[in-house]
Amino acid sequence: MPSRTLAIGRISLEVRQGIEFWLHGLIVLASIAVGLGISVLLLVVSGIDVSNIFEEFIVFTFFDSAGLADVLLEWAPLILVGLSAAVAFRVQFWNIGIEGQFVWGAIGATVVMIYDIGPSWIQIYLMFLGGIIGGMAWIAVPAFLRLRLQVNEIISTLLLNYVAALFVLNQLFGAWQDPAAVYYKTAQFAAYQRLPLIGWGQIHVGLFIALAAALIVWLVTERSRFGAYMKFVGSNPGMALASGIPVTLTILAAVMLSGSLSGLGGYLVASGQEYALTIYVAIGYGFSGIVIAFLSRNNPAAVVVVSFLMAGLYVGGESIQVFYGLPEALIGLIQSIIVICVVGSEFFVRYRVRWMR
Amino acid sequence: MVEFIVNWVAFTPVFAVPLMLASIGLIINERAGVMNLGAEGIMLVGAFAGVVVYIESGNILALGTLGAIAAGLVVSALFAFMVVTMRLNQVVAGIAIVFFASGLTGLIGNPWTERAVEGFTKVDMGVLSTIPVLGKIVFSQDLMVYASVPIVYFVWRFLHRSIPGMKLRAVGENPQAADAAGVSIDLMRFGAVVTGGALVGLAGGYLALAASKIWVEDMTHGRGWIAVALVIFARWRPGRAVLGALLFGGIEALIPRIQAVGLAVPQYLLLMMPYLVTLAVLTYVGLVSRTGSGAPGALGLPYVREDRR
Repeated sequence: MPSRTLAIGRISLEVRQGIEFWLHGLIVLASIAVGLGISVLLLVVSGIDVSNIFEEFIVFTFFDSAGLADVLLEWAPLILVGLSAAVAFRVQFWNIGIEGQFVWGAIGATVVMIYDIGPSWIQIYLMFLGGIIGGMAWIAVPAFLRLRLQVNEIISTLLLNYVAALFVLNQLFGAWQDPAAVYYKTAQFAAYQRLPLIGWGQIHVGLFIALAAALIVWLVTERSRFGAYMKFVGSNPGMALASGIPVTLTILAAVMLSGSLSGLGGYLVASGQEYALTIYVAIGYGFSGIVIAFLSRNNPAAVVVVSFLMAGLYVGGESIQVFYGLPEALIGLIQSIIVICVVGSEFFVRYRVRWMR
Repeated sequence: MVEFIVNWVAFTPVFAVPLMLASIGLIINERAGVMNLGAEGIMLVGAFAGVVVYIESGNILALGTLGAIAAGLVVSALFAFMVVTMRLNQVVAGIAIVFFASGLTGLIGNPWTERAVEGFTKVDMGVLSTIPVLGKIVFSQDLMVYASVPIVYFVWRFLHRSIPGMKLRAVGENPQAADAAGVSIDLMRFGAVVTGGALVGLAGGYLALAASKIWVEDMTHGRGWIAVALVIFARWRPGRAVLGALLFGGIEALIPRIQAVGLAVPQYLLLMMPYLVTLAVLTYVGLVSRTGSGAPGALGLPYVREDRR
């Protein structure tokens, strides 16, 4: 093996041949700690007391019944967007359009309410289907463009986020607007169109749907032939093609699964939390999904854990926002700082850094 | 009708110049082999810094413009440090930069939000500006519109008619060969990212100080991403990027014109146009480019000497 080195001034970089599991884990944890440290510093600079940060993000979220209920409520859609991103990233399809697919999932559910489709007892199930169909439909175009015409999916999925958001505005300021509402949203879903509550805070059965989806995705990616194909296609598409694996079909199936998971998330928020289609239904979920998948290294089991912590960040961040009048961008900022730090840690995983004399 | 068309064409440069400057900046990045998906974020920070410096300096336009350039430099230096020096994944780093910029400007931007600024104003060229049709279209633009012509020319001249430009393209095309020929890959890429980033920041500053004349959270509304798409459409050539920017600027300029004459088109559907047209253009490029996209050979790949590829 030739030694692969590189010098930047007095620092020499050596490509590692391998890395011990504990060292890898330690580097990632350290980088998350650095990210959290910078975030805390930022909050302190914005005028927030350190003890309040601890209380809002730890005590009132994870060690308080009402707070924990909020975290569990927020957990469900975050699991779904995290899974959605993970499944797509596994086949090297950069789905940045989760927010758009999420919106279309919510629209799919809302359509059932607006046009009163089917008998009332079946509507909540039709909404479930509508969510899946909406999410899939919205990712179908970028999937087709990428697989047939090599159109970069990062740009196409992202552009469609704007189109989806504008479509919702068009409907909410027009045909679907509830004249009785104070701000722009559709009429409220009827009782039979809502996901049943389980009797702890606002938590609804959507949490079980999300956890079941995680189990199914885990079985598919880790225990099925299709999952093995996905791994192969993701790590080396050229060789996968040469070995006779249906590469295009594998990517298409994974991408459709990704879209339907995002759509399902939109359904949960529309039918379980908002009970309506609002302009805020999808805000922040797109980037959260990407962050969760990135931090979980696209592992469905890890997605469940990371999205729980992310839900804590959401709930704590929201109460800090409201209390101190900080903008909504706060959560996204903390997330991006953590991601930048973890991306940065990749450097120390790949290279051994030495000082030269 | 004639008046409608003249107004429309006269308004096109204000919308075209931000896309033009941003895509020219991105071409410098990508020709050196660095895929900069953080453009949306760099533009946003440029727009923010432009307005903040403009207001705080007591409405000095030159300082506002310089502030936008400096902000573009700083953010793209952070990006360059991540992807050039530390050789991190360019896609993830770029997307993270976008959300970092959006979050940061959102968090600290409150005191400057929704304060209208005068910003760039039309140059009055006396008699020339009063010529019918031509006067309005050619001789009544603002300074940056005129300045963008030599900027584009200089970038083209640098990339395609100078030795350092050739070295830059070599770094993006085949870094191994360029390295062997004695070109410093790190230095060239860092320089390309920062220079291009300064132009993207300027694009954002101009957007805020000339087109919208106001700072609002997330005001770039995907224009950075449209610029990324424009580069693909332009096949990484500055001249074609100008054409593309004029096309997209024309579409954006059409939206307020249609609203001004009171045509009954739903406004939100109208606002979808730039995104849908971008998608259509990318589809068109995908349909016709059977001979390869014209992308630099090493685009998006970090370079480590003797590293496995």
